[in-house]
Amino acid sequence: MFSTDLTSNDLIFLVQGAWVTIELTALAMLIGTVFGTLFGFVRASFPTASIPLAFVLDVFRSVPLLIQFVLLNSAKSIVGLKISPFTVGYVVLGVYAAALCTEIVRGGVLAVPKSLRLAARSLGLTSLQDTLHITLPIAARVAFPGWLNLMLAVMKDSALVTWIGIIELLRTAQQINTRINEPLFVFFIAGLFYYVVSWAVSQLGNQAERRLQND
Amino acid sequence: MFDFKYRFQWRQVINNLPAMLDGAWITFYTALLSMVIGIVIALTLLSMRRSNNVALRSVAIGWVSVARNTPALLQIYFLYFGLGAFGATISSWAALLAGITFNNAGYLTENFRGGLRAVPETQTRAARSLGMTSFQAYTRVVIPQLLRIVFYPITNQMIWALLMTSLGVVVGLNNDLMGATKALTDLSYRTFEYFAVAAIIYYVLAKLTFGVARLAGWKLFSY
Amino acid sequence: MSMKYALAIGVSMLVLGSTAAKADKLDDIISSGTLRCGVVLDFPPMGSRDGNNNPVGFDVDYCNDLAKSLGVAPEIVETQFPDRIPALMSDRVDVVVGSTSDTLERAKTVGFSIPYFAFEYVLLTKKDSGINSWEDAKGKNIGAISGTFEAVQAEKDVKSWGAGSFKGYQSQNDTILAVDQGHVDASVSVSSVVAATIGSGKFPSLIMGPKIPYPTDYVALAVAREEYGLINYLNLFINQQVRTGRYAELYKKYFSAEAPSLMTGAVYR
Repeated sequence: MFSTDLTSNDLIFLVQGAWVTIELTALAMLIGTVFGTLFGFVRASFPTASIPLAFVLDVFRSVPLLIQFVLLNSAKSIVGLKISPFTVGYVVLGVYAAALCTEIVRGGVLAVPKSLRLAARSLGLTSLQDTLHITLPIAARVAFPGWLNLMLAVMKDSALVTWIGIIELLRTAQQINTRINEPLFVFFIAGLFYYVVSWAVSQLGNQAERRLQND
Repeated sequence: MFDFKYRFQWRQVINNLPAMLDGAWITFYTALLSMVIGIVIALTLLSMRRSNNVALRSVAIGWVSVARNTPALLQIYFLYFGLGAFGATISSWAALLAGITFNNAGYLTENFRGGLRAVPETQTRAARSLGMTSFQAYTRVVIPQLLRIVFYPITNQMIWALLMTSLGVVVGLNNDLMGATKALTDLSYRTFEYFAVAAIIYYVLAKLTFGVARLAGWKLFSY
Repeated sequence: MSMKYALAIGVSMLVLGSTAAKADKLDDIISSGTLRCGVVLDFPPMGSRDGNNNPVGFDVDYCNDLAKSLGVAPEIVETQFPDRIPALMSDRVDVVVGSTSDTLERAKTVGFSIPYFAFEYVLLTKKDSGINSWEDAKGKNIGAISGTFEAVQAEKDVKSWGAGSFKGYQSQNDTILAVDQGHVDASVSVSSVVAATIGSGKFPSLIMGPKIPYPTDYVALAVAREEYGLINYLNLFINQQVRTGRYAELYKKYFSAEAPSLMTGAVYR
């Protein structure tokens, strides 16, 4: 029959790793959403003037994340900045998320018909009111599925931070395997963690999306 | 404010540039190969997804779901060390290629499914009534139109694949761009210099790929 | 008015003076109350995790001893092999207690103490590999932990053979798995680690292969290159560990054998 040396302690250890993964994802998405929304509006509103911004954001999408982690990690030591690898981890992931989120938000804003905005303005709403009460809610609805996919992508990509010495889910799995040598089983469990969290998030997302579409 | 004790040493990076460029070629064709195989598998998964056989449909749904919900890094590691525990030993490069292809196939299936909705059902029926078999109708009428719709997502996926080949290094791949760069830093500890140059090469590769795809798309689909 | 000037000058001199007489790392460690040791935790018995996933091993004990002598609390920072020197450079750790070979190439980047441990290398291979001597390994596929002394050496050898291949892995565990699963024919590994691996009973098909004729690999504690005060302290600490018998005691605890000499022959260090 099936037997394993995996102990309940190991499971707790894995859960701790999974928690680091979730923390990293949450912080990165916070950074990514705030800056992505800001930049997305800028990109949609001033397409020509914001070309330099688009160029910079595109660089972050066109270089492997693994290399971005390594570069920031060594750059901060070169300039003598005392930040933890965890900070490096969520900052790099956050900037990456912001670069992707910008495109998602831009798409959402551009999906709002110009005539609608003009109508809002002609009803006496200020530009800010139009942005906050008309454009943002509609753009958010359009952008939501993309944003959700982005969150799942960021969670999966957070596995790469193991490279700069952060002990997250994947790394804890490798650690445990050092002792019990059951790679197939241990990595299956780690995979299951990712799968379940991703799946749960996308289910919640689907529900939220349905509610958004209905009202 | 900052005390720069670090002195950059670029000369040896320039000296080792040929090795890195050789690596870039391996990176590029690995990504390209993973796309070609990925597209073939995705088209197969797509027709499985639409079939009436429950087993076939479940395999297709399961494939897409696992590809979407687990990290590529874990998949590659699993393919190399997890399958190895079964005695199924594959090379580092094969594990990388399989992992990236697995993902490409999963994501492209979803893209194709979306694209397919844009090809009206009436077209298939028209093709069938012209005497084509179901297979002929699929390959000659549906797929050509589908490719046009999904060309842009395919380009994006190709760039994703290009960047993700950098993960081969975790299973010991040492001749692609990332692996070669890593091997060079292991000897010299000039991490920043080597990886900065590697980042530029990846960027150029990604932009060249994008540019070529744009040109090709323009030539192919400008009817 | 002149009082104010005098005061201003006094304050600015204080400020300038304090930056000029900068506290060094040794002071920083003592005043912070914590010693951050970079330890490799997938390299049993030098460093690993026990059943409760707490760090244990020779290097962990060595760090604890060092912290005790400094009168501070130890903090074990898990560091992978390829990450040891980057961890120092990025100030994530104060000292690497991580079986770091004191190569001249590395000494261009970090500062080394005198040796605190010495390794012999053997081939870790499978029972039926037919590799009975270092000569037999010629033309085979060889693995090692990426970025280590032995990996650099082995890669050079494989290149000079003109046949076979070399593969570097991210950890000791990956390297052992690679041999066990047949990704490589043998790995260049530390003899004491190989003995512990086989002793664990988790890898019944592996054996300790022939000894590799590399010179004894002395490993040292590593710190930032310019921290002479700390290096000086570490040298004396290592010397004290040996002469108080603590080194022999720790060696016995983890390797059940006589501790190897740390003398590098007829030369001063």
